[in-house]
Amino acid sequence: MGYVLSREAFAAVIADLSKNYRIFAPVRKEGAGRFTDVDAVIYDYVCDSEKIELEAKSDYASKEFLTPLSETLLYFTENEVKESDLDTRPVLVFGRSCDINSLKRLDQIYLDNGLAKDPFYKRRRDLVKYVLIGCGHSYDNCFCVSMESNKCDDGYVFSIDLVEDNIQSNVPDKDFDKYFAQHCNDKKDVAPRYVKENEVKVAVPDSVPLSVITDALWDEYTTRCINCGRCNYVCPTCTCYTMQDVFYSDNGKVGERRRVGASCMVDGYTDVAGGGQYRRKNGERMRFKVLHKISDFKKRFGYHMCVGCGRCDDICPEYISFSNIIGKVYQASKEVK
Amino acid sequence: MGKLDINVGKLKKNAFRYSKVRGETASRIRIPGGVIDSKSMGRVVEIAEKYGTGVINITNRQGIEIPGIKLTDMEKVNAEVQLIIDSLRINQPEKGKGYPSSGTRNVIACPGARLCPFGCYDTTAFAQKMENNIFPNDRHVKIAFTGCSNDCAKVRMADFGIIGMTEPQYNKDRCVACKACINFCKRRSVGALELVNGKVVRDTDKCIGCGVCVAYCPTRAWTRSREHYFRLVIMGRTGKKNPRLAEDFIKWADEESILKMVKNTYAYIEEYIDPNAVEHKEHIGYIVDRTGFEEFKKWLFEGVNLGPKAEVNQRVYWGGRHYDKYGG
Amino acid sequence: MTNNNPYLPFASDILDVIKHTEKEYTFRMAFKGDVKPGQFFEVSIPKYGEAPISVSGIGDGYIDLTIRKVGRVTNEVFERYKGQSLLLRGPYGNGFDVDLYRNGEVVVVAGGTGVSPVRGVIQALSQMPDATDKYVIAGFKSPADMLFKDDLKEWEKKLKLTLTVDGAPEGYTGNIGLVTKFIEGLPLKNPAEAKAVVVGPPPMMKFTIIELKKKGFKDSNITVSHERKMCCGLGKCGHCRVNDTYICLDGPVFNYEFAKNFVD
Repeated sequence: MGYVLSREAFAAVIADLSKNYRIFAPVRKEGAGRFTDVDAVIYDYVCDSEKIELEAKSDYASKEFLTPLSETLLYFTENEVKESDLDTRPVLVFGRSCDINSLKRLDQIYLDNGLAKDPFYKRRRDLVKYVLIGCGHSYDNCFCVSMESNKCDDGYVFSIDLVEDNIQSNVPDKDFDKYFAQHCNDKKDVAPRYVKENEVKVAVPDSVPLSVITDALWDEYTTRCINCGRCNYVCPTCTCYTMQDVFYSDNGKVGERRRVGASCMVDGYTDVAGGGQYRRKNGERMRFKVLHKISDFKKRFGYHMCVGCGRCDDICPEYISFSNIIGKVYQASKEVK
Repeated sequence: MGKLDINVGKLKKNAFRYSKVRGETASRIRIPGGVIDSKSMGRVVEIAEKYGTGVINITNRQGIEIPGIKLTDMEKVNAEVQLIIDSLRINQPEKGKGYPSSGTRNVIACPGARLCPFGCYDTTAFAQKMENNIFPNDRHVKIAFTGCSNDCAKVRMADFGIIGMTEPQYNKDRCVACKACINFCKRRSVGALELVNGKVVRDTDKCIGCGVCVAYCPTRAWTRSREHYFRLVIMGRTGKKNPRLAEDFIKWADEESILKMVKNTYAYIEEYIDPNAVEHKEHIGYIVDRTGFEEFKKWLFEGVNLGPKAEVNQRVYWGGRHYDKYGG
Repeated sequence: MTNNNPYLPFASDILDVIKHTEKEYTFRMAFKGDVKPGQFFEVSIPKYGEAPISVSGIGDGYIDLTIRKVGRVTNEVFERYKGQSLLLRGPYGNGFDVDLYRNGEVVVVAGGTGVSPVRGVIQALSQMPDATDKYVIAGFKSPADMLFKDDLKEWEKKLKLTLTVDGAPEGYTGNIGLVTKFIEGLPLKNPAEAKAVVVGPPPMMKFTIIELKKKGFKDSNITVSHERKMCCGLGKCGHCRVNDTYICLDGPVFNYEFAKNFVD
């Protein structure tokens, strides 16, 4: 069941929701882009529906609630270790199909890789419900159809589609029906829109032979890639982090341990004590990243890590196309067979 | 009746060149900010083909000169130039008569934020605003705009050089300590950043507001300030006597103050210019040398309210070569 | 959350500190619980960080952690002494299965700090009733860099130990040369069935395995222990991953038949 709402009614729904939930949604940040007078669409907390960017694909992914770029985990005093506090009010995260499909990947690493569940992830995960922003059309660089992430049949409490200045919402979660019923009488059977075809299509090889892993195809990225890590930081499925311990400069006895987002492209990722480093060349780092997304993760967990959102291509300052690399790997793998 | 009887002073003021080729001149097209629409460019081509020799000079100050024009064709050229003047929105008291003056030179700008990744503001727009603020005027004033501290527009050779700045805004919650900003600030700029306790600390005294940290930050921990700021450098010049680079005057200046200060300078020039200056033309810097910097500042700051961030260099000293004192 | 938070370290008393070299100490830490040689602990120094340290010895109520002073965390560890405590998390990883080496010829090749994770294995070998078919080649940079000098003396009595150094001051009478130099000459009866354990810096491991294979060792009879950047030990942080393998979860000890496909 669903609703067709005016923008005003939608605003009222969001206003009501924000009394009970913190709303974490894509927001157009004026001038926050890399260059002067260029906006960036970044996730943030909002109370006002007007602030939610419903049209553009966000530059950074919705994972920033579950895995913040920087999060303090522990506080240290002289003899004590204390876990950081967390705002325990429930959270509604607005995301597209790619974002919601990425959840399974995040859960896989943080909750189901190894015996231990990551408690700092879990305590956030337990607070979250997802709102699906439907995709009326494909965006630049999207290849979600190829990665089978263009659609989500469940995993969201309601959906939003902006269609000709009206909001269409499918509300599968009964707990959320009341928010809509209060402001809208126009009950209709609506389904979230989703992309059926992308301009960018990729074929992913079933397996990548060793000869392709060590192939010269990666070499061009040693010089083309600048190992800035943007592709990782915007990726909805990248989960790596680095621990950071600090003591407060005005009181060395007190400090904290936090974790920050890590990128396998950035220097230091593989550094071991004593100066050893496992992937020096950017081409090797590119191979490591790409194969994780389309091969290694699948070998371990049975499905692809990449959801085909194309954010890595959107943001790469060197115009490196991840989907084109998949194409190259596919071609090279085919030739081996 | 002689064939040619030309008032050379008026010719020059009308933006025509006194040419070494007798009977010829060159028409000077004013292009504030160095941006001209393609239609106007087509008209330049037409004039060059019709009245000139099919040759177009690109000038050092981003203007155009169409050489080889007969002195007798100046009126016709002025009529044809009108559409270009209109299109580039050059102030003009009377239509059809060409450019009303040439003393205040074409206002220069690098491509700035419209094209360049490092540009901290729309240099073209500010240059055009400046042009409208001060032109026409016969006083010899050179103004140049550059988008960032790279100073591709070489504004330090102008009387007023405006260098774009941004005040980097740091969101520590988005910082992952990848050190891209620190490394690039060191390699491409002044090295004003360091990592302290896993977060980046900016040395605000050292920072030149170039925005390199913002451009290289992969997570949007660094963003640009909403306000555009400027470093105003003043009294640079080339020439025979004492060529010198412009020196820093105000850091973190705002647009409105800069427009007002440049405007104020004209009143100062009127007051203090050497009445015997050759062709009534004197670089402002020589006037400032004569009156003293304090007097200049008094005129400059008339009615100006600098923003709270502005840092004024109260005493400015210039260097350069003193050929007039010590010879070459 | 506190009770089962795997990121929270526990305090462990420093029972003893054994100084091997200026930069390498063994910290004997109080610990009760199942541990295997080759497993590792995260030594956690609040405000400085954590460092993965492999278990170099296991005893009744204690574990040994041999630590090399090479960074922020380990520098700080060296400031601690007997009677104080350290915070630990672990043990992590799979560790060696010592039973694999009870029967038949065994060659352990270890270089530098790589001796630490296999010390438990060597000790087990040396305590076997007949250790005459157990060979150990241990290499260090120089005589001054030697670890476990007392152990070396003991091991020498029980099994076939070749001790070598990469270089030494004049007058040194022991072996000089890389560990790889001593593989060819091993008097093995049946290399095709013999087992090997190789632990050390990546180049040392690579060339040792080449020599072992020349000698006739099967890939599947070689065991290696890998070191990567193991930050969390829990399979979350991602730094130690190679291909689809998390060194901290699935390793660090691997059969070479499997590990030979690792591409970093």
